[in-house]
Amino acid sequence: MNNHLRQLREQRGWSQGELAERLDVSRQTVNAIETSKYDPSLPLAFRISRLFRQSIESIFEPGKE
Amino acid sequence: MDRRTYDRRIMIAMGAYVAVFLAVWPQARGAADPWLKGLYALTPVVPLLYVIWQMAQRILQSDELEQRTHLIGLGIATVVVSIVSIVAGFLAAANVMTLDATSVVLVWIFPLLMIAYGLGRSHAARRYGSNALCEDEDRMPAYLRFLCAAAITGFIAAYVYLRTGEEQVSSTLLGMACALAAGALFFGIRRWLRRRRSAAAE
Repeated sequence: MNNHLRQLREQRGWSQGELAERLDVSRQTVNAIETSKYDPSLPLAFRISRLFRQSIESIFEPGKE
Repeated sequence: MDRRTYDRRIMIAMGAYVAVFLAVWPQARGAADPWLKGLYALTPVVPLLYVIWQMAQRILQSDELEQRTHLIGLGIATVVVSIVSIVAGFLAAANVMTLDATSVVLVWIFPLLMIAYGLGRSHAARRYGSNALCEDEDRMPAYLRFLCAAAITGFIAAYVYLRTGEEQVSSTLLGMACALAAGALFFGIRRWLRRRRSAAAE
């Protein structure tokens, strides 16, 4: 799955650590999501969408199958 | 619980384990009362239970990705221990090799499980772009952890040799200490090279 998390984070000038703190996850988890190595669970995806005030579909998009 | 606290607690518990193992456990053989014998023999289990409890707490407090890497690590460790057990069991049952089940095999199951779990978790963490062994900046560096483990194992090897003169056990422990020291050297050099590279990039 692809996502725009890095762009959204950089637009707000947050570091990975700051975003991790706001989402209550580790910096490694933020890094893994940004690099599309890990797809977040639905509750975490909702937390991300609430934090950036965007829908889940506008942040995450399905990758090539 | 942050990782430094976790590492510190595990180190203290392992130190307590070594102290109990060296000071209390040898008295089990000489004790006449079966209850006292059992008590002496099982005392080293107490710090190990504390370590397991700390690990469980840390897994429960970790986030979803970290929990996944723990799960993969435990899965790999289960497979490794199961395969080693079944292979050794078949070989021993067919008299291809002899196993002293009471004093050798059972004692090594827990360390094998922990080693396989650590390596499995490290493999899983690398798959997700991080490193469970040494890249986390908020925990004790890997080379230091390996160095402490090498020092403790080397100390036990020397103690066993000087106290009992048992060459087989002490040389096995000394081999483990050397392997851990080599690991410490590897991680130390890797850390130094990475720092030098990032300093050069700046």
